Amino acid sequence: MTITRRKLMQGAGAIALTSPFIRNAQAATLELRWLGWEHYNVASIVHGFEKEYGVKVSSGFFDGNSEAYNKLKTGGTTDYDLVMADGFWPRLYGKQGLTQPVDYGQLDNMQYVFDDFKAPNYMLLQEEGGTNMIAAPNCWGGYGLTVNLDKIAPEDADSLSVLFNPKYAGHVSTSARFEENIALAGILAANTLGTKDGPRPDGKPFNPYVLTDAELEEAKKLLIKQKSLLLTRWNDEDTLERLLRAQAVWVSPEWSGIYRRIAFDKMDGKSDLNMQHVLRPREGGLGWVDTWAITSGVDSERMELAHKWINWRLKPENMAIIATDVGWSPTVDVRKLIPERYVKTMFLNETGAIKGLYQFDAPSSPEKWERVWSEVEAA
Amino acid sequence: MKNNRLFFWVLTGPGTAFLLLFLILPLMSIVVFSFWRTESYHLYADWNLDNYRVLATNPSYVTFLLRSLFMASVVSFVSLVVAWPVAFFITRYGGQFKIILLLLTSTPFLTGEILRVTAMQQILGPIGLINMALTTFGFDPVTALMYSKTATAIGLIYLWLPFMVLAIHLSLLNFDFELLQVAKVNGARPLRAFWEVTWPLNRAGSAIGVVLVFIPTLASSITSKFLGGPNGALFGNILAHQFGSTGTWALGSAMGVVLFVISLLVLYIVWKSIGDLNRSGITIKGGAE
Repeated sequence: MTITRRKLMQGAGAIALTSPFIRNAQAATLELRWLGWEHYNVASIVHGFEKEYGVKVSSGFFDGNSEAYNKLKTGGTTDYDLVMADGFWPRLYGKQGLTQPVDYGQLDNMQYVFDDFKAPNYMLLQEEGGTNMIAAPNCWGGYGLTVNLDKIAPEDADSLSVLFNPKYAGHVSTSARFEENIALAGILAANTLGTKDGPRPDGKPFNPYVLTDAELEEAKKLLIKQKSLLLTRWNDEDTLERLLRAQAVWVSPEWSGIYRRIAFDKMDGKSDLNMQHVLRPREGGLGWVDTWAITSGVDSERMELAHKWINWRLKPENMAIIATDVGWSPTVDVRKLIPERYVKTMFLNETGAIKGLYQFDAPSSPEKWERVWSEVEAA
Repeated sequence: MKNNRLFFWVLTGPGTAFLLLFLILPLMSIVVFSFWRTESYHLYADWNLDNYRVLATNPSYVTFLLRSLFMASVVSFVSLVVAWPVAFFITRYGGQFKIILLLLTSTPFLTGEILRVTAMQQILGPIGLINMALTTFGFDPVTALMYSKTATAIGLIYLWLPFMVLAIHLSLLNFDFELLQVAKVNGARPLRAFWEVTWPLNRAGSAIGVVLVFIPTLASSITSKFLGGPNGALFGNILAHQFGSTGTWALGSAMGVVLFVISLLVLYIVWKSIGDLNRSGITIKGGAE
């Protein structure tokens, strides 16, 4: 077949005439991709956004910040437009060039966020030493102690030392997360060594994820001693919940979701368990604010959509769904939209507590921490 | 001749390409990474032997390896002891139901590993079936079953037993059971007949079963993660840790290489132990040449 000039012109004309429709078709199938914790993938919120903006939303999931970080480092910035991160992690992402600044001017719903999660009260959403905002808040919480007060003495209940107390041997549990185990033991170790409130080698305030060698060594000793007291290290919340309800475990750090479910059962007359959740143990506790950050691979077209997504997620009605259906405490004030018992057990009247909690962070030396954890596990 | 060559490449090409791409290449990359270095989640191509030095000299990693070797030995031995009567019964008396009985032993494989291990938690844990029953009747719970190495061993035996049964069954399928009658006529009691006739002539089946149980147990991590408790971490758990939360890929790669080399060593030992196949397992009714 020979291509004549006339045929070439006809073809070019057809392309020119249909190109606006092709562009529209592409716009209609624009896809926003986010990487985050699976429980935040709420169908009603996602479908609402897709319907409102005529786009498609897809998601990928991870179990922890370090896993997400590794995903982004190995090409994830082009695979995902948004990433969720908590504590100090958004700053690390920003420093590594994995994310780009978030324009709060496009986030009308930031007005509903509690002041406790905005600058100057909470500074981890802003780049270190700069003015750019690097992430927007989502939910918050602690990694406090859920304690069975029928079994644990009240004077022991609000101290991290309860996790290391031989009185409760066989009824203590912790999660399998090595970072938080070392960090909690690190807080106690720094208290014991008297180094928590003194000058730090890096000139910054105490951070349980940046421990000195002496504190790390003391934390290791504590964790090795603790092993004989543990029933198990839980890998999933279901296991811990069953063990707490059966009173096989009397105390464990957790996110407070299990405490809330048991507390609701008590309010409904379905359980007699006398449970308490200590958000901030007296030596100090761990906490987190999880956030939405925009990856560095996002182009201008998706940039606007990424902001719309964050704004959509911050909408109080959507945050109320997160509170009641998913069970995490929002950084948005939804107190008028959810039942009082959620407000109480999600500590929504105590959001200021976030200031006293050491935020989740990456271990200062993953290699050193890995070695410590291996020694604990092998002991 | 030319057609034969083309036919050969058409048949073997896709399989070879698949193995090269998805088995050999990842293995090669693991070997390469094992000589590199990781620092704060970054992988640096600084060629060195440090990861192997750490694995050889740090008592923690040696402990994990010894734990896994011991666990794999115990699980293989117990599986062998449990699987033999089952496989023997199925092959000797299963008749037309042999395949169905064999498939029944593999029923747990219809579900995922995590589900099977979770089910074991419901039986072995402090609020599992066994301990709940004991405490209901006023007995003390069996602490050895609660998040312990024993619980891990039971879980692993439950997971891999079907492989052992299958390997022994396949060996027994070619075994001439009339030999047992001959042994009996000559005055041998059943146990002696087993030791002197059945066992040596089916050594290959047992050996293959041991390989099929030993190697996956050596690398296992999920069972010990859920059933092992605070003292139950195996080599596989620590290896998985390197590629997960700690991000120490280079050390993890070296651990993977060590595991691979040990697995090859086990295969070699088993291969050597089988010896002459015609005399030790691959028996054919009517006599082998």
